[in-house]
Amino acid sequence: MNDQAPVRRRTVRVNEISTARMNDEKTQSQYQPYKDAAWGFVNHWYPALFSEELPEQAVEGIQIAGIPILLRRAAGKLYAIKDQCVHRGVRLSAKPTCFNDTSITCWYHGFNFDLASGVLNTIVANPDSKLIGKTGVTTYPVEEIAGMIFVFVREDDFPLEDVPPLAHDLPVRFPENNERFPHPLWPDAPGILDEGAVALGLHRTGQSNWRIACENGFDNAHILVHKDNAIVHAMDWVLPLGIVPDHEEPISLIEDEDGPKGMMQWLFTDRWKPILENPDLGLKIEGANSRFYRTSVVLPGCLMVENWPEDHVVQYEWYVPITDDLYEYWEVMVRICKTDDERKKFQYRFDNLYMPLCLRGFNDCDLYAREAMEEFYTDGTGWDDEQLVETDVSPVTWRKLASRWNRGIAKPGKGVTNATKTSSIRLRRLAQGKAPGYKVEKIENVNDY
Amino acid sequence: MSTTTKVVLGFTDGVEHELLVQPGHSVLDAALEGEVPILFQCRTGSCGSCLARLVEGKAEHRSGLAVSLLPGEREQGYRLLCATEPKGECRFSVAYDSAAGAGRPIEAKCFVNAVERIANDVIRFELELAEGYSMDFRPGQFIQIKVPGTEVVRSYSMATMASDLPRIELLIRILPGGIMSGWLENQAKPDDVVEIRGPYGQFFLKEKVREPHIMIAGGTGLAPMLSMLAALRRVPGRKPKTILSFGCQSPEGLFALDQLDLHQQWSPTLQVRIAVDRGTPPAGVQVGNPVEALTPADGLTPDSVAYLCGPPGMIAAARAHLEALGLAPGNIFAEQFVASN
Repeated sequence: MNDQAPVRRRTVRVNEISTARMNDEKTQSQYQPYKDAAWGFVNHWYPALFSEELPEQAVEGIQIAGIPILLRRAAGKLYAIKDQCVHRGVRLSAKPTCFNDTSITCWYHGFNFDLASGVLNTIVANPDSKLIGKTGVTTYPVEEIAGMIFVFVREDDFPLEDVPPLAHDLPVRFPENNERFPHPLWPDAPGILDEGAVALGLHRTGQSNWRIACENGFDNAHILVHKDNAIVHAMDWVLPLGIVPDHEEPISLIEDEDGPKGMMQWLFTDRWKPILENPDLGLKIEGANSRFYRTSVVLPGCLMVENWPEDHVVQYEWYVPITDDLYEYWEVMVRICKTDDERKKFQYRFDNLYMPLCLRGFNDCDLYAREAMEEFYTDGTGWDDEQLVETDVSPVTWRKLASRWNRGIAKPGKGVTNATKTSSIRLRRLAQGKAPGYKVEKIENVNDY
Repeated sequence: MSTTTKVVLGFTDGVEHELLVQPGHSVLDAALEGEVPILFQCRTGSCGSCLARLVEGKAEHRSGLAVSLLPGEREQGYRLLCATEPKGECRFSVAYDSAAGAGRPIEAKCFVNAVERIANDVIRFELELAEGYSMDFRPGQFIQIKVPGTEVVRSYSMATMASDLPRIELLIRILPGGIMSGWLENQAKPDDVVEIRGPYGQFFLKEKVREPHIMIAGGTGLAPMLSMLAALRRVPGRKPKTILSFGCQSPEGLFALDQLDLHQQWSPTLQVRIAVDRGTPPAGVQVGNPVEALTPADGLTPDSVAYLCGPPGMIAAARAHLEALGLAPGNIFAEQFVASN
């Protein structure tokens, strides 16, 4: 009798892509880490909430790069901890329960965590448990600046002493970079870390991979999608059909040892040529007013559009990965406001011009565009089959530098919201007309389901 | 009067550990303090991971503590160590060996995915664990392969990481008249099945070392270094400065240069130096040996760690050279090629 089981090939083929990757074109393999970063980069600073979304005593749950994070403001202090109870994985933020200002309790079985250290410091109905003091949840460094809350989204074992300053994950600043990146056509762009900086904006969930969104932001051929936008015509701007590279170094890398890592595009210099007409198609841009701007991007995916949409204003964007097919799109305008009066004027202009015509209006177009591209990339097809062209020097440079300077590639989310696409809760929410999003939905009424 | 109580824990591989349990402490507390490899999880008597069987003496679960063992299991002598206090000297046995968990050697069958000559005397040999097998290993460890149709066994270091499993990549030097070499050159083809055993070896990347890393590889001694480089890239936090010095006898013997290029591209803290003993090297490759490519200018400190893999002569030379450059002998780890008869 033959008692030997037959030897079978695995039916689920894993790592198939990685086998093929070494046979890929060399350029493609140069940014393989970026292709692996479907769930984003970790161990970076990301915007989490606007300050006004987290008033005193508030608790909010969000998810970044597949990591559930809870934010709480108590007695004037900000805290961020992992939003997943160590006991059975319940999201603490679904029904915030806090018995004091220094801890938060899991509302299900009463595990109580110290907000500053994450340590399990008691269990409501089991105060003598041997487990107390022996476990806990990860904590995340937090910074609040110009009306925005930033969180350092780290892997559980990323050492706190290695956390870099927030400035290392924000765009380069002016005037300190004026010699390196001169801009004779516009004033110094304000920076979010500058004194008196005010950041106004919105964040909303987009249904595409964060990389598709991010690459859209600095793709100099994408501006064609904005040809028909209201703001362009209302302002009679000369927005080119596209901008093509015309120099051996159209982009400069930013790789300072003690600063952000990213790239600067030399737009509106002799290194890039704006295309204002296409005679074959009978197209010609006939705006009257120049609108010079310049885009740069730094890890982990923070775009700066200098001189946009007006002098002395800068637009920042982030494409914060939530899962592999959801990202939180942050659109923020920054201006230095030295007085209350300036602040009010900026707020008025933001409410009545920037918000409806720029951040909505103009940037709505980008959301459509990213969604239209998403499906080609969802199953990996696009990464292999895309046919790039001269103007794609921008995304390819970004992919390479992101492969080199990221501080970690997020592992595919497991045991977290929206990781299992077919979970029945997700499907019920969809049936209720609620799209998958960024924030945790709270249990509002305990007597009603 | 309170004194400690002696408890012995026995593993299936015959290893025994003696513990001294403080009054009021559980057997698990004492085992963890003594770094005895007991499996555990909740430490509150509920999950059942720290199950052991009392084989001599008396020991009971703490009175009043609810544990998840069934009464019948308790009668048979089973105890949860996190909840157990000894009543006098006693002995427990557990149902696993002392190397439980990660890295325990297994026997497995693998399919051949690829047999590819990448230099005049080097073959890249790619395997894939067959359905139903799983293993774990640390970057730098090796497996044994039985040459099909023979009882001959050869050892090779993985060039891939555990996270690449079920795919395993090996770099194999072809020796004239070698049994494995002959099989690889003349017979091996995709979909063949081979038997492996492993992982083995104490030559693996030490974790959480922040000081500079030196790697010196001769020929296919590059394989464990490739695994370690990939692992270093994934270390959370600041990455250590790393110098990899790779040497081959001749330009025709060089391989994996594209892969090393990529590692350098992806790791800002990595420097790669490549040397050949003789011949006209391609751009970026020096004539010389990989040991002497490290100089006092590299500013190595006694705390730097070094990993060496290659023929015995290279390892002896590298050891002497690195010690002269200031490395502490205890921080130099080596794996040398052993000639097969």
